[in-house]
Amino acid sequence: MSNVMENPKGGCVLAGINSVLGAIDRVCPIYHSGPGCCMQTSASDQGQSGHKSSCFVSSVSIPSSNMLEKEVVFGGTNKLRTTIQGAIDIIDADAYFVLTGCTAGIIGDDIVSVTNEFSEKGIPVYPIETPGFAGDSNLGYETVWNTFIDQVIETDVPKDDKLVNIFGIIPYHDPFWSGALEEIDRILSQLGLKVNTFFTKGQGIDTIRKCSGAALNIVISPWLFTGPAKKFEKKLGVPFIRIPGMFVGATDTTRFVRDVASALDLDNDLVEKVIAREEKYVYNYLEQAIGVLSWKRFAVVSDANNAIGFTRYLANDYSFTPVLVIISEPIFRQEDKDRIIKEIQDLEYARPPKVLFLTDQYEINKAIREEEQEITLLIGSSNDREIALEKDIQFILGSFPMSERLIFNRTYTGYRGSLTFTEDIYDNN
Amino acid sequence: MAKVTYSGVRESKPGRVNDLGSTGKEVEENFRKGCLKRADRSFAQGLQCQQINSLAALMSLEDAVFISHSPQGCVGCAIMAIDMYRVGQIHRGVRNVKNPRLIVTNLDQKSVVFGGEPKLREAVEKAIDRYSPKLIFVFTSCASGIIGDDVDAICDSLQKDYPDTLLVPIHCEGFKSKICASGFDAAFISINKYILKHQKIEKEEGLINLFAPTTVSYADQKEMERMLKLLGAKVNYIPFYSSLEKIRKIPAAQASTSICKVFADEFMKTLEEDYDIPYSHTVMPIGIRNTDKWYRGIAKVIGKEKEVEEIIAREHERIEPLVKKIRDRLQGKRVFICGGTGRSFAAAALIDDFGMELIGLETPTYDDDAQIDIEYLNGIHKDFVIDIANMQPFEQVNLVNRLKPDAFIGVPEWAAKLGVPTTHVLDGKRPTMGYDGLLFLGNKIADQLENPGFNKKLAAHSKLPYKDSWYEQNPFKYITEGGN
Repeated sequence: MSNVMENPKGGCVLAGINSVLGAIDRVCPIYHSGPGCCMQTSASDQGQSGHKSSCFVSSVSIPSSNMLEKEVVFGGTNKLRTTIQGAIDIIDADAYFVLTGCTAGIIGDDIVSVTNEFSEKGIPVYPIETPGFAGDSNLGYETVWNTFIDQVIETDVPKDDKLVNIFGIIPYHDPFWSGALEEIDRILSQLGLKVNTFFTKGQGIDTIRKCSGAALNIVISPWLFTGPAKKFEKKLGVPFIRIPGMFVGATDTTRFVRDVASALDLDNDLVEKVIAREEKYVYNYLEQAIGVLSWKRFAVVSDANNAIGFTRYLANDYSFTPVLVIISEPIFRQEDKDRIIKEIQDLEYARPPKVLFLTDQYEINKAIREEEQEITLLIGSSNDREIALEKDIQFILGSFPMSERLIFNRTYTGYRGSLTFTEDIYDNN
Repeated sequence: MAKVTYSGVRESKPGRVNDLGSTGKEVEENFRKGCLKRADRSFAQGLQCQQINSLAALMSLEDAVFISHSPQGCVGCAIMAIDMYRVGQIHRGVRNVKNPRLIVTNLDQKSVVFGGEPKLREAVEKAIDRYSPKLIFVFTSCASGIIGDDVDAICDSLQKDYPDTLLVPIHCEGFKSKICASGFDAAFISINKYILKHQKIEKEEGLINLFAPTTVSYADQKEMERMLKLLGAKVNYIPFYSSLEKIRKIPAAQASTSICKVFADEFMKTLEEDYDIPYSHTVMPIGIRNTDKWYRGIAKVIGKEKEVEEIIAREHERIEPLVKKIRDRLQGKRVFICGGTGRSFAAAALIDDFGMELIGLETPTYDDDAQIDIEYLNGIHKDFVIDIANMQPFEQVNLVNRLKPDAFIGVPEWAAKLGVPTTHVLDGKRPTMGYDGLLFLGNKIADQLENPGFNKKLAAHSKLPYKDSWYEQNPFKYITEGGN
């Protein structure tokens, strides 16, 4: 199900798959699709997420069968076969994944029989049969993990009770993904854990193959990944916990640490020592700049994960006043919406803000334009700058799509990220 | 004999080739003898599809809404045009920067089975309800084309319901062409059919249509306008940053020219046939030789040959001492160039201004127009490799690694990782064109060549994804005869 949408944020299901594959070291996507899909699906996510792109293969580096009229009419499996062979011959990858675009999906090319020809020879070529029109980037993230669970992750891996897998943060879709994963890794490592982020530290397909050895899957998202997490648990025996939103700042990051510690039954003394040290680090800075930021009544337009993180930090830890939070990614299930609303509205002292689910830019602009309460700070995407300029509201470019700043390892996540977030909000006007 | 209507698909032109590995001398001779054959690649990397170009061509039009009748993914590349539109507003002094009004119908599984008509109708109704635009462009996609949505008929029926908004369907299904510039033609064909409608209007003395794609910076626009105004012309700068009113003015012009070789080239022929507007189609005005050629071309059409020579002489007097300074820094350097049709040939001519030597050229298409450029380049450079490819970085890195150029001009991403100094002649935000652009560009190339530290260090730390064995193989081994 997809809605007519003005200024959509993100791409099709292929874009989400491509984002994940592009973030894994030495993995090569192969497109069985129309001629523009490699570029379109890279531009929709990697191209609008702080200007970093997969350095292995992305956009016009991705092998593609470039289906033209001839393939539309007569089928494109022969072209796919030579494309896969060429990719294997020249691209030095550890695994190849064949993606199907709308064209291949509609004409019904049988890609599995083609990939089987290669996998039977022991070459790691995997099919992913989900045409672009099946959904958006978020679905692509779940689709690729379902593929890994079905075809890639090994079943007989010895358990390691200190190993955890991180899910829920979509690389090249969340602009701060790599910095966020690095901060999460940094925090959890202090608890004595080994962390599979999958997309940092040069982790590759081998990490994915062996990730069934983990003691816990940690899903950091208020709504994504329910299906794959349950499937993972059922097939591979790894339980999961859901962290119902990105954590920004001391309060929520400490809550995250305690949730993980409790799920793994970690040594309490160590956990409390880490929390104390990290919180002191944060407050050591905050106490050096008291009153430097003027008081704000703020609105957020973002994906659910970051909207929760931004709102809860600014409201709970920084005593700003939340007015309006707009979740700008498509979310269809009511139970997911309820979980998101609860996280945003269940605040310590602040009055709960209004929460809206709007993906259409016209409707987003309208909601902000017509908001009766004053807003003095808007955290949003490049698409949301227009309404901030129109209403003369201070604007922080903090969510996807983000085409006007370069993001390497910057993050607003965790203990340290909250300091960066606060730095960015400073305004000398 | 009935006139053959151009379909907008560039492959339909006889003799045009998209897949070829050759040398300058060999390709010139083979083309002359009619020996170039249509080919394909049995292995290829992704292309730019024509829908991207159709959208990019029009997305800065003021009073329009753009509807992509496609799944959500097909507007990914719209970000390039969106960004140019936003930055372009800032350059033009607009404070409250706006987004272009882009609506995607978001074709999904249900549409694939039952058709996308309800979604297209909903999108058009929303566009009108929200913005009452003067224009709505509807762009088709691979998906809408294959499922067989009759976009023309749907638009026609909606047009009757909404007489105050002009609905313009554009047929830019990606699978129809390997040459993304076809998308420009598709856009112009629809502009003629639905907006201009073959109606002649009163001519405006001295008015020139100057066609510009989205990649032309405001600095370049001002330079081009300055040059044309020196000839006493009034400029209708279209379609970038223009409006329905300016498009309607097209038939009033005395002459047309374009900034890009593959932008509006076919359309200018149509304008001559339908509205008696003569045109100049020469080269992109990058570098002295090309700027002169471009300038003389349009001057001739409007009968200002004498005036243009005076201006050119004056500009040369001003610019040549400055160019000489750059030439002293760049003389004899060996260059590999990769770019779109217009920019690649323009860059090749540009490096001659600086006394550099061409050793490799990668360009998307070979046809009679390219032949003219190659004849010229063969007259200057003794031997260079030519790769007819729409990007295909795997061939590029093989060639660059083999040829070891002193400088690479084009998308820097891959050559940089081989440690070669890189620069680009495509910069939609800064000057590139005309006499002033030349200096900016020359200094940029010279500075980057003198100070190649970043790329050298990058190459020591970064590896391209190709196997070592690939660099030993024939770069053109995947080009096969008899393709699409």
